[in-house]
Amino acid sequence: MTLPEVGASSDREVRDTPAEVDAAFRAQRAIALAYFFLFLILVAAFPLLTLTLQWWTGARVLGGLSPGFVAAAGGLYLIFAVVGIAAARLSASVESRMLGGQQELDDPEISAEEVSR
Amino acid sequence: MTSTAVVTLAAVLVIVLGVSFLSRPRGPSTVDFYLAGQRVGVMTNSWAICGDYLSAASFLGVAAAVYVSGLDGAWYAVGFAAGFVPVLLLIAAPLRRFGEFSLADFLGRRMESAPVRLASVGVVQLVILCYLVPQSVGGGITWELLVGQGLLGLSPYATGVLLSTAVVAVVVAFGGMRGTTWNQAVQFLLLFAALVWLAVVVTADGFRYGDAVHSLSQAPLANPTLGGPAGQEWVLTEETNQMHPGEPALFGEPGARYGPLGQVALVVTLGLGTAGLPHVMNRYFTSPTGKAARTTTVWVLMLIGAFYAMAIMLGTAARDIIPDAVAGRPWLEELTINGVLHTPEHALPVLGRIYGEQSGLGLIAAAALIAAMSTVAGLLLASAATWGHDVYERHINPKATQRQAVWAGRITTLLGAALAAGLAIALRPEAFAPAMPSLVATMVTWAFAVAGSALTPVLVLAIWWHRTTAAGSLAGLLTGAGLSVSMFLTAGLIEVTWLRELLAAPTLVVAPITVAVVVLVSLRTSAPVGVQAHWVQMHGTAADRRAERMARLTRGGVDAR
Repeated sequence: MTLPEVGASSDREVRDTPAEVDAAFRAQRAIALAYFFLFLILVAAFPLLTLTLQWWTGARVLGGLSPGFVAAAGGLYLIFAVVGIAAARLSASVESRMLGGQQELDDPEISAEEVSR
Repeated sequence: MTSTAVVTLAAVLVIVLGVSFLSRPRGPSTVDFYLAGQRVGVMTNSWAICGDYLSAASFLGVAAAVYVSGLDGAWYAVGFAAGFVPVLLLIAAPLRRFGEFSLADFLGRRMESAPVRLASVGVVQLVILCYLVPQSVGGGITWELLVGQGLLGLSPYATGVLLSTAVVAVVVAFGGMRGTTWNQAVQFLLLFAALVWLAVVVTADGFRYGDAVHSLSQAPLANPTLGGPAGQEWVLTEETNQMHPGEPALFGEPGARYGPLGQVALVVTLGLGTAGLPHVMNRYFTSPTGKAARTTTVWVLMLIGAFYAMAIMLGTAARDIIPDAVAGRPWLEELTINGVLHTPEHALPVLGRIYGEQSGLGLIAAAALIAAMSTVAGLLLASAATWGHDVYERHINPKATQRQAVWAGRITTLLGAALAAGLAIALRPEAFAPAMPSLVATMVTWAFAVAGSALTPVLVLAIWWHRTTAAGSLAGLLTGAGLSVSMFLTAGLIEVTWLRELLAAPTLVVAPITVAVVVLVSLRTSAPVGVQAHWVQMHGTAADRRAERMARLTRGGVDAR
């Protein structure tokens, strides 16, 4: 059994051309790689700081915890969430700008919404 | 059995069975049984993914790892949470847009290759088994602590393993993805509430995080090991500092368990492993659109971040509070040596009993049972999807009716559960405690190692590199799985050195090798003929727009945003 393909070309108004998709794919790949490298740097920074900076494990900052403990106990999760939100917003924005242009021209419902604004 | 234990167990059963009954499948459809009709909204799916992902290893294991190793134990939480960043950036939306029933089915169709599908089934089953056994162990530990009695001549531990696994197996077999989704969502909310309650009561009692870490770091970190003349007495042994040999290991500083390489190896293994976990990734196929899958992941990142921050705090609180709580509590004396728990996984349940007596123990034990059960549910369903759909429906009986295919999934669910329970009973955690502090978390690491070394690299290349071929994927899957298993099995045979740390969390080494193998073999073979159509489906948004349009036309229906 195969799944019904929601995006099949049976509906002529809702489709993407290979050229449009390829351009969007390249933009998305650049976003994904940029944020992934940022993520790698953040994760790799912890052991580097531990080895090179006495302040990282010795100082007392938030609530008497060291910067390293603050990072592992909560700070990194906050950073992961911020990275995730930023990447998701940018990806969604790129997709909406680069794909679906032809559909919006053809779609009477969307055109009506645009006119009413 | 105390009245609290009876009430706790009854509450868990009522919740699980009640939710399953209310959300039972409406007919014998495989799309409904495996994918909940692909109509699971963003919030529900994010709660369900959290319920699926936050297992006994997260609930009992992370607090236990912090309890045993201090700051180094927090690396489990960092790795578990980090895993959803690559999922968000590289996998969630394209995976959902391509569709299918499971990871194996995705790779099989993307590569247009039956051997790739079958090899993926093998790797997926290995990951599921490595993950399933520690969840059943978690169920056994919790029953042992909560009830303390066995049934039908079995030990309390074996009774807990068998009952918790059996209940979930029946729920999954008959509730399918729809019942499992709602169960996991409700279970996550209960789990989260239990952790919030514990954090609030501990803080209200005067626990101060910074002071506790500072105070615990004043003396060398020591943990119980079996010693004495006959090797049967618990004695406290100081941990070796892996970061600065010669100096004592301290609770609040890195080094009690890992050197610099070990830290990175663990986080990379857990981080990349998440993207290859079949029970978590299969949940993305239930999203209505790729965009919804991406938004779901953002919510998951925020929710699990809050969860792990609390788990780390409570592991610290347990280490700080339990030594002073032993006086006047004979039950706690039995579980400790000089105020330190023999079994670190007992940290949260013990904290619950200290602050809430039997009711507090009941709440935390119920949450631990729920954590184990919700993950077991996801794993069994993923196992059913691979055997029932990818093997039975695709290869053994391609003309199977919907009813036959659903029954194949149900039967394989029950068989998988029986195998996991048998292995969990054979692996009692105390027997491994000296070699593997926090057995539950260690065993889960193996699952992440195989997933991150074999499935994730192949999955990422299949999504982002159009030249990936069936031969390349097959070579990558076999190389990644073979090397990772060999390495973590070898780790158990050698002394504690940087090499052992690397072997125990092998993805840092194996994932790049897998990528290299896939690329080299792919460059020498031909890409699938339908790659352009696959690309449009994976990276285009036509299906998303169409689903959103349908949702707009039927307001009040599925949340497709």
